Amino acid sequence: MSEPKDFVAAMDSNSRKTPVRVAFVTRRTSPHVKAHDDDTVMTFPEGLFRAAVAVEVLALILVAIALLWDAPLEGLADPTVTPNPAKAPWYFLGLQELLHYFPPVVAGVLIPTLVILGLIVIPYFKINIEAEGLWTRNRTQRLRILAVVTAVFAVFLAVFHVYAVLIPTLLIAASMFFSARSTPSPGRFQVWLASKPLSFWIMSWFLVQAAILTLIGTFFRGPGWSLVMPWSGQI
Amino acid sequence: MSLPKRVRSAWQYLFGNSASAFGTLSGVLLILLAVVPAKDYFREWLGYQKQYLRLIHGRGDATSLSRRFQGGLQQIWMPELGVVDRCTTCHTALKEASLADVKTQPFRPHPAIPHKLTEFGCVICHRGQGAATTVEEAHNSTKSWEEPILPARYLEASCGQCHLDRLMGTPRLNQGRDALAQYGCVRCHTIKSPDGVTMTGSDAPPPLQHIADKTTREWIAAWLKNPQAYAGSATMPNFQLADDETRDISAFLIAQSTPYQTHKGTEPAPAASQDTAALQEGTSLYGESFCSSCHAMQNTAGMLVGGNLGPELTRAGSKVKTEWLADWLRDPKTYDPDTRMPHYRLDAKEVGLLIGFLSSKSDSDFLGNTQLAAATPAQVEHGKTLVIERGCANCHAINGVKKPDNFAPELTLVGSRPLERILFAPGVPHTLADYIGAKIRQPRSFGNALKMPQYTLAPQQVDALATALLAQTQLAQTLPVSLRIPGRAPSHYRPAGKAGQLIDDMRCFSCHKIDGRGGDMAPELTWEGSSVERAWLVSFLKNPNTLRPSLIRRMPKFNVTDAEASTLADYIMTVYQTPAFDQETLDSSRFTPADVEHGKELFYGKYACQSCHIVDPNKDKGYIGPTLTQVGARLTASWIFHWLKNSQSLRPGTQEPVWNMNDEDARAVTAFLVAQKNAPRKEAAQK
Amino acid sequence: MANSLAEQLANLRDTRVWRSIFRSGFGPTNLHRALAVQQNVFLHLSSVKIRKRSLSFRVTWFLGTLSLGTFLILVATGIPLMLYYHPSVPQAYADMKDLRFAVSAGVFLRNLHRWSAHAMVLLVFAHLFKVFYRGAYRPPREFNWVIGVVLLMLTLFLSYTGYLLPWDQLAFWAITVGSNLISAVPVFGTKIRFLVLGGHTVNANALLRFYVLHCVVLPLAAAIFVAIHFWRIRKDGGIYSGEIKKP
Repeated sequence: MSEPKDFVAAMDSNSRKTPVRVAFVTRRTSPHVKAHDDDTVMTFPEGLFRAAVAVEVLALILVAIALLWDAPLEGLADPTVTPNPAKAPWYFLGLQELLHYFPPVVAGVLIPTLVILGLIVIPYFKINIEAEGLWTRNRTQRLRILAVVTAVFAVFLAVFHVYAVLIPTLLIAASMFFSARSTPSPGRFQVWLASKPLSFWIMSWFLVQAAILTLIGTFFRGPGWSLVMPWSGQI
Repeated sequence: MSLPKRVRSAWQYLFGNSASAFGTLSGVLLILLAVVPAKDYFREWLGYQKQYLRLIHGRGDATSLSRRFQGGLQQIWMPELGVVDRCTTCHTALKEASLADVKTQPFRPHPAIPHKLTEFGCVICHRGQGAATTVEEAHNSTKSWEEPILPARYLEASCGQCHLDRLMGTPRLNQGRDALAQYGCVRCHTIKSPDGVTMTGSDAPPPLQHIADKTTREWIAAWLKNPQAYAGSATMPNFQLADDETRDISAFLIAQSTPYQTHKGTEPAPAASQDTAALQEGTSLYGESFCSSCHAMQNTAGMLVGGNLGPELTRAGSKVKTEWLADWLRDPKTYDPDTRMPHYRLDAKEVGLLIGFLSSKSDSDFLGNTQLAAATPAQVEHGKTLVIERGCANCHAINGVKKPDNFAPELTLVGSRPLERILFAPGVPHTLADYIGAKIRQPRSFGNALKMPQYTLAPQQVDALATALLAQTQLAQTLPVSLRIPGRAPSHYRPAGKAGQLIDDMRCFSCHKIDGRGGDMAPELTWEGSSVERAWLVSFLKNPNTLRPSLIRRMPKFNVTDAEASTLADYIMTVYQTPAFDQETLDSSRFTPADVEHGKELFYGKYACQSCHIVDPNKDKGYIGPTLTQVGARLTASWIFHWLKNSQSLRPGTQEPVWNMNDEDARAVTAFLVAQKNAPRKEAAQK
Repeated sequence: MANSLAEQLANLRDTRVWRSIFRSGFGPTNLHRALAVQQNVFLHLSSVKIRKRSLSFRVTWFLGTLSLGTFLILVATGIPLMLYYHPSVPQAYADMKDLRFAVSAGVFLRNLHRWSAHAMVLLVFAHLFKVFYRGAYRPPREFNWVIGVVLLMLTLFLSYTGYLLPWDQLAFWAITVGSNLISAVPVFGTKIRFLVLGGHTVNANALLRFYVLHCVVLPLAAAIFVAIHFWRIRKDGGIYSGEIKKP
């Protein structure tokens, strides 16, 4: 059945057989509709045991870690003694790093809010659902937009001296341009990149950025939020 | 089966499908989780307790030791003191005196101390982390506990947290507290006792408002360069000034100096007598006046001889101008109203002799290298800036420079200072005690721009100072007030009237303490009126001699007139009376010879007083307490009686033992002592 | 031996007691297996059958399962920890010391809780990115993605509130730094921070609030959302396992 049929409705009393699904197929907005479904297995025991094994492996690793390394504990909280640097939990250190460059209202409020909203709305945008390669349509126009956006953003970051964001941004923009190249025989990597939609690029940029900022905040920031090396013992 | 095949089949058996993998992994997880209780079982403290049981196993008193031993986690818990001390979990034998021969920790018994071991726990005195049950965490500084065990040489600091008074058992703490006052530490650093009393300096930094009349600019410059080169015992620290700095400061000090109200003009300055005979005479006058009770001087062997209340005089001749010295000897108060030097009432001849003697004490080398051109206004101005920067006015009165407030960091809580707030000099171990010691020893090693000067201190003085500073903890502030043994509040006692003027004139307070005010070189006089007979007092004031053969220092003769001695004696007899007893309780005229005889027996027999006191100079060898040959003439019967009954209530801290004499014994011994009126004095023993 | 053990187990499953507990009987047929899932209050969140391909490691890296696993470990260690903990100043910190030095396996409990918390944050983030890159957020799973984002935030809040509880310097200043960010919110910033901390600074009130959030409110919310999350996996067509490559 290579062509999806418009409509199939059927009834069957044999519960052991896979029930026929009813699907309304509209253009481009749904995941791949499979006329033939996969083979299925029983959740119990196949799925559950696999899940249990996975969780056990994790538990083994965590128990081993807990036996070998003690959780950090410092002196009694003392509001009069401020450690330098005072650091937030590691997953907020990316934000704290941004706080070093931008005013609190940007780094502490605007950016996290935008990230959360951005994450929530992802599945509600058609463009994300179609997931078309970025350059399949309007290539020239999009290239132009990309160039302008990158330039403006780069200037903005340079003005604020946010090189920790600027450099990865430029690298990612460069790979976007690289993927847009029209060569007669593109390499496999380029083909793979070219097939990626805009959301892929934004998300990857966010991931790289979050990772880099968190790493810098965790390992490279010492007294007065100055740049230090992790082995300098000042963190 | 080949090995790889076996491995493969074993793998297949263990992880072949998800169910067997689940089973296998569950087993592994259980084994791993079993490490948790195993880790508990092999805890350090359990090992120590087993070791202790083995240790006592072979001993004679093993049964009673093991009966007293309690296994398991032990703790001393006192919520109101914040004490959770688990030290006794490993230190199992703290109370076992019979294990005195055991030298290995953690099983050594605790030395005898005045407190019960369970009264305050361990950490309040020893510091460290009481809640911890591992050797490392209990004793050392860790991420979660900053304060390591206090090294034994600073241990007296812990006593000082509650004991704000002087304790007999804490010589190092007392020395440190004295040094804080004596070296002027407290003039720059504010240090408050836990009871809120601010420590004050006991040194007497001279005022510099009239310095130009006293000495030369060259001397000032040379002194500033290195005070200890002038006098090894000088209290003033070395500010490590450059030559141009000493030049400019001396210029400023001379420039700011104003003339003082001298005797000049009213009387000619006595000529300095320089011939050998006069020098000889001056030397003996210096000795007879007991100048060395307060002033030290190097003798020919290079040893420093004399007291430290006044400045060292080894090179005094290189320092002071003769006109000033004449004035000073006649009446020191005209130059410095707050000086500790008494008014000696010397006549012109005596002044001249002393000037001659002191002028001979000069050292041409000291000023040899100091040549100063006339000061420029710029240098004077720069000198003033330096004086302000270095905080000279913290100690010295200087015209036009105010005493700065909070010049140096407050040290009230230095004993609890968090290490995060401390910048360590290279090579200094990261503990508070080491930091304080290093900072006192070499302040500038922590940074050349620091203001703290370099002191010349012996190692034990550094330790004593560190001990006193380590007592300034947060804990001392937060402990219940009921535990605090307050120190003496500073007294501003001033006797009134004519006698008061005399007491002030002769600066009795420089050596004697009355009503909480004054020095402790000489006996306290607060209850002197109750203790002595008036006739003896008058004769003593006119011609003092020491009461204790073992002491070198003696009271100077102030050339008091009969009228003055009488005024003072009247005042002392009336005012300095103890409320502890009534003079009339004991009538000495009722003593019978039998009483005296019985008292003598008790004196030599039951109480063996001759171990410390001398009644019969030919027989007795007691040199610790005062000689009692004339005690009947000196002390009143009531005083002796009550002294024998309870000396501590009359003079707390006296060395006199507590006898717990009953009334009959005390009365008899008193009768014996009162009879000692006219026995011949043993002059030889005193010289 | 193994056989006899299996027999014993089989016999056990035939007892009345066993059958009263597990409503579905044990048996070799798919019906029995289906009932085992469908008749279980927890397991019935999942469908009775799942696609074989979705079970392969490559598809999910088991990140969702592992996130749940860390959550369960955290609950399991968190409850005993609560027994030794007083949310008051400075007793909270003294309790940390007791856990470390006096409580049997106290160190281990705290270690496991702490490291699992970090692992959970990492795994949930990883889960989010994995789902995104596989495009598994697309309809009909868009709302489950939103629930996932909510769960991510709950995870962060759980970790963040737990961070304060030891009441050591690390905790105090991490929370101080974090809560100062709240005050940057325009207009209501300081008010919100006051609400969160129960005061203008991190103090005993903040500790109590964070304790209640950490031990009651947030775990409950997380449990509910996890349930919905799993339910929606089933309702939205099972674990997304990608397209079938046409032969």
